Amino acid sequence: MSEAVIAVVKPEMKSYIWLQTADGSIQQVEEEVAVFCPMICREVIQTGMGSSKNYAISLPQRVNPAILGLVLDYCRFHQVPGRSNKERKNFDEKFIRMDTKRLCELTSAADSLQLKPLVDITSRALARIIEGKTPEEIRETFHLPDDLTEEEKLEPLRNITADPRIRLLNRLYARKRKELKEREKLKNVEIVEEQLDDRSVDDLLSFINGGDGDTKGARTNRSKKKNRRRKDQSKVVTSLCVCAGASMLHDLSSACHVGKVSNGLLASSSTCSKFQDSAVMSFSPKVEFDDGDIDDGIDPAMKEELDREVEDFARRLNSDWPERMQEILSLGQERRCRPEVMNQW
Amino acid sequence: MGDSSNLDLISDLPQSIIESILTRLPIRDAVRTSFLSSKFRYRWAALTHLVFDEDCVPLSNDRALFEDKLINFITRALFLHQGPIHKFQLCTSYLQSCPEIDQWILFLSRKDIKELVLELGESEWIRIPSCLFKCNKLICLELFRCELDPPPTFKGFMCLKTLNLYQVFVASDAIESLISSCPLLENLSLSYSDSLTLNIYAPNLKYLCLEGEFKDICLQNTPLLIAMSVAMYMTEDIAEHMQQSSSCNFIKLLGSVPYLEKLTGRIYFTKYLSIGDDRGRLSVTYSHLKIIELYQVSFEDMKEILVVLHLITNSPNLKELQISGSSNTLAAMEATDLDFWDKECPSPCLFERLKVVKMTEMSGVPHEMEFIKFLLERSPVLEVMSIMPCPSVMDGRLNMLIELVRFRRASARAEILFIQC
Repeated sequence: MSEAVIAVVKPEMKSYIWLQTADGSIQQVEEEVAVFCPMICREVIQTGMGSSKNYAISLPQRVNPAILGLVLDYCRFHQVPGRSNKERKNFDEKFIRMDTKRLCELTSAADSLQLKPLVDITSRALARIIEGKTPEEIRETFHLPDDLTEEEKLEPLRNITADPRIRLLNRLYARKRKELKEREKLKNVEIVEEQLDDRSVDDLLSFINGGDGDTKGARTNRSKKKNRRRKDQSKVVTSLCVCAGASMLHDLSSACHVGKVSNGLLASSSTCSKFQDSAVMSFSPKVEFDDGDIDDGIDPAMKEELDREVEDFARRLNSDWPERMQEILSLGQERRCRPEVMNQW
Repeated sequence: MGDSSNLDLISDLPQSIIESILTRLPIRDAVRTSFLSSKFRYRWAALTHLVFDEDCVPLSNDRALFEDKLINFITRALFLHQGPIHKFQLCTSYLQSCPEIDQWILFLSRKDIKELVLELGESEWIRIPSCLFKCNKLICLELFRCELDPPPTFKGFMCLKTLNLYQVFVASDAIESLISSCPLLENLSLSYSDSLTLNIYAPNLKYLCLEGEFKDICLQNTPLLIAMSVAMYMTEDIAEHMQQSSSCNFIKLLGSVPYLEKLTGRIYFTKYLSIGDDRGRLSVTYSHLKIIELYQVSFEDMKEILVVLHLITNSPNLKELQISGSSNTLAAMEATDLDFWDKECPSPCLFERLKVVKMTEMSGVPHEMEFIKFLLERSPVLEVMSIMPCPSVMDGRLNMLIELVRFRRASARAEILFIQC
């Protein structure tokens, strides 16, 4: 009688947990590995979910399938009770060797799954990456936007010095910021003004016929006013005119492109005058405030330097305007605008 | 740059993770993250663990300037900080006592401080301001080289679990009442606060470490003590003073610690224990005592070796024994009474759990060898007996070895390791 050897293989009675990541994909994981994560463990115990595909446990959004794989690798190793501390440490050190992006995602995922030991080793790895690097290097590694102003970067630890150069720099930046703010404000004012354009057709006609003259006149007006203000020795005023000029320019060029020359020109000239009126009105209190602001702590020599610098800047901008204006006007009238106007009529 | 918020890897992680990362950086790097981007601005200011040392500011040859910079850094950091501070640690030898420390401690007392570690330079000891005693959430306090003077209205730290005082100038009754007024105290370490007479009343105390010149120590109420380490520096007059008193030191120290698991006695510990009237055998059994380490045991003093015998025979579950000898060779050579061990020890007395014995600084004097023989005969499960001779003993080593080889061993598995050095 031959003895047939029959191998009887008992199927392993392992239980599995079903997990669903935020993108909808569902995975099956051995139970002892999955419940190593406190969050999953709690779900299983409290809600009984995870026992089948239809009742998969939804994982937090920060856990994507690739990262889930990493987390489960970690759990799979550490949930085995017999390992020595040295073994675990060696595993951890090899485990966290990955690129920074993955490391951050892993930290985030571990935190949402409440797996504290993994959060600890990943945080430590991230700290090691940050330590000793310059701010630029850190920004590059983590793709951080460099969105702090120079002044913000200087404070607070360096503010403790009474270094007059730093205070001068702070003051310059404060003025520049004020200028930018004024510019923004005027832009907004102008947009509001444009919408109130309700002239009749006759007005438009008459304007077109006298269009060139008006703009030139407007320009001269502006320059006259500019000169007068410069005599006042107030820097912010000149720069405000610069702002006015800038928005005028913006206006004209957009008008040309669109082809609605008549409207544009009309609008811009009227807004120009309205502009300057409002500019004058809003100005005077500011001028006073500004003067009061100047006098603390900086000695006259520095103040001179400051004044000179900002004036220089303003002058440079202002000198460009007349030429540029001419350029754009000629561009607009010769090339596009006239033919279109002709067509309309 | 496109959609930079998508590329940004780290700024949107929850505050707990950012804190976890920033805490693991040296404080200077953590503060500098404020310059990185608008989302990182002042995130370090919510850190609850602040650890300062001399690396906070760049090194400088001018000592006074360096001190100033360090003081400024710490003051500014505290000033900018927001929220509770749970741990504050300052360890640097570059700072001596300075008036800012009082203000820092006052600031911390308003910030729910739980753990405070202060270790400064050696030349001037700071006087701890009374505002420290208003930190009623303190769980761990570690002070080095300072003067401690609790105000009379002080009722105790209700949450304190760990107290570590190193070279702290404090009066005996002050420290006694401090210890007894901290009901949750579990770890106590007192080092080099000299000339103290201590009655320790600490019902929850688990770990005790005493080191220095103590006049007297009595563990009045420490029923839960698990581990004890005592290093007694004794001068002649202290020893004399003790001889005259009738109380038994052994009982005072080890009389009521039934749960003791580890005992470490350094310097003159066994000598200290041997002083005082014994009044017969001790009745305390240390059924949890597993590890005994005794240093500077002089085998020519019969009282000391009696103490050793008492200890090991009253510890049925002893697993590991380490004894370091310090025998005056000349005196020890004239030892009489060599059958002391068998006489004094009740038989049959077996050390049924003893697995490891380490004898160090052995000079080979008769009582040392008798003791080793005694142990070998009565330790049925012994695995390792390692013997390290005293470095100054060169000639006697061969004799030691010859004797060792003769000794009978109760345990078939016992290895005798003679470690040359």
